Amino acid sequence: MEKVQAPVPIGTTVTVERLGETMEEMYINMGPQHPSTHGVLRLLLKLDGEVITDCIPYIGYLHRCHEKIGENRSYPQIVPYTDRLDYLASMSMNFGYVLAVERLMGQKIPERAEHMRVILGELQRIASHLLWLGTFGLDLGNFTIFIYCFREREMILDLFEAVSGQRLNYSFYRIGGMAMDFPDNWVADCRAFLKWFKPRIPEYDALVTDNILFRKRLQGIGVLDRESSVNYGLSGPMLRGAGIKWDLRRNDPYSIYDRFEFDIPVFDSCDVWARFLVRRQEMIESVKIIEQALDRLPAGEVLAKMPKTIKPPAGQIYARTESPRGELGFYLISDGSPKPYRYKVRSPAFCNLSAIHEMMRGCLVADAVAILGSADIVLGEVDR
Amino acid sequence: MMTPDEILEQLKQKFGDAIGETEVREVEVRLTTTPEHGREVCRLLHEMGFEYLNCLSGADWVTHLEVVYDLSSLRHPNKVHLRVKVSREDPLVRTVSDLWRAADWHERECYDLFGIRFDRHPDHRRILLSEDWVGYPLRKDYANERMVPYTDYGMEEKVAKSEAAKGAVKASPAPPPKPVAS
Repeated sequence: MEKVQAPVPIGTTVTVERLGETMEEMYINMGPQHPSTHGVLRLLLKLDGEVITDCIPYIGYLHRCHEKIGENRSYPQIVPYTDRLDYLASMSMNFGYVLAVERLMGQKIPERAEHMRVILGELQRIASHLLWLGTFGLDLGNFTIFIYCFREREMILDLFEAVSGQRLNYSFYRIGGMAMDFPDNWVADCRAFLKWFKPRIPEYDALVTDNILFRKRLQGIGVLDRESSVNYGLSGPMLRGAGIKWDLRRNDPYSIYDRFEFDIPVFDSCDVWARFLVRRQEMIESVKIIEQALDRLPAGEVLAKMPKTIKPPAGQIYARTESPRGELGFYLISDGSPKPYRYKVRSPAFCNLSAIHEMMRGCLVADAVAILGSADIVLGEVDR
Repeated sequence: MMTPDEILEQLKQKFGDAIGETEVREVEVRLTTTPEHGREVCRLLHEMGFEYLNCLSGADWVTHLEVVYDLSSLRHPNKVHLRVKVSREDPLVRTVSDLWRAADWHERECYDLFGIRFDRHPDHRRILLSEDWVGYPLRKDYANERMVPYTDYGMEEKVAKSEAAKGAVKASPAPPPKPVAS
């Protein structure tokens, strides 16, 4: 395959000698403004007719200098910035960051706060997967699933608004616990939501999973074999859809995840269909975790006694958590001062997106949207 | 399955002095090495079963730069934290993107934000910033936020030209009447 030198003029026609035949290949642009790229992402597709022969992603349109800003803010001040990384899973981003700082400090947090973190983290996972399912169906032409998923997601957002005051970028986790306790009646409302949500998955199945059109569109495309998936650093549902049973909540447990019983859904076919099934099943497993956590929720305070200025001892840490998109890692170097010396975010969508070009090769242009959707990227965390 | 101490032992046996300061923390092996041996150490670690590259980042320690590798395995719980010190004047290190394809984009980002160059990288160009960006923002001496390349895209020239064209046609307006002294 010839190397592509960027930037390439749009609509360039390249004549290629291949197997004695002369064909014309065309470069076509998808994005950065496109309803299905899920953010500002530019994909330069090299087409031979309708078949994609190469795909070159261009990112950086949403680069907001997150890591440089982090070097100039105190540790608690970074929490609202982490919200805006993966803005569709803010609770998970907060979780990852405060966990990293607490590990660096060796800080223990109250039991009630640990349970709150798990409950809100898993609710966020359900909300993120619902949004993914809705927009994925929408990209493929199924408008109804979008409305159904967003109806449930609105209920979760109402719960989040009751607890933090925000519908989207919550900044609710604090280094040492949580910002505040659940309001009155929140636990009952949460249980009512779970009761409503459990029969919804069979409803979505009737619309999408059992839909022959959906199956035919998703099975067998966007294939990336097991070994390549590991080599590319894929994580989360991308890895579990390639037959590898790897979930940080089980394999490298953090917080109190080792106390809960839940399954890790794994599917073998390494294609878009497998990833779809993984995310669908994960929603069901998250419901189980939330119920167990609500049952065991202890009384107590929600924020540990922290010093006025948070100054972790000099050292480094790489702490990883399982966000809805995969392995979210925070690499922090502290020099004993109130601000981090180096702050790096290992974003799951960044690594998942780097493998897109291999997944798209040989597929039709019409499948490009489905493959990109299966990667479930959020440009906020890809570009930071 | 090897313990972290055994892993460190094997590395020290093969590379001797090239391995700098080491530390073992629970399941994590922390070590430093030189840019010349960086790739060989990585290759040995890859053979030892560290097939997953979690993170590849850069760090600026004022006197020198550093490339930091975080490796782990899906089969055993050990982790490796490898740091390669590179000089500021010529930050060159051999790429590991043929060992772990995850390193491809991570190294591009490291080059983009720190200026560390990766020898034999398949696609060595900036990833987050625009192609014509000058400077490496995450370096500690990039503190001035005005160090953004300024370009007016030829506007000044354009405005000057149109002013000149207009000036030939329109005379300057009459001066305002002087106020009457009371």
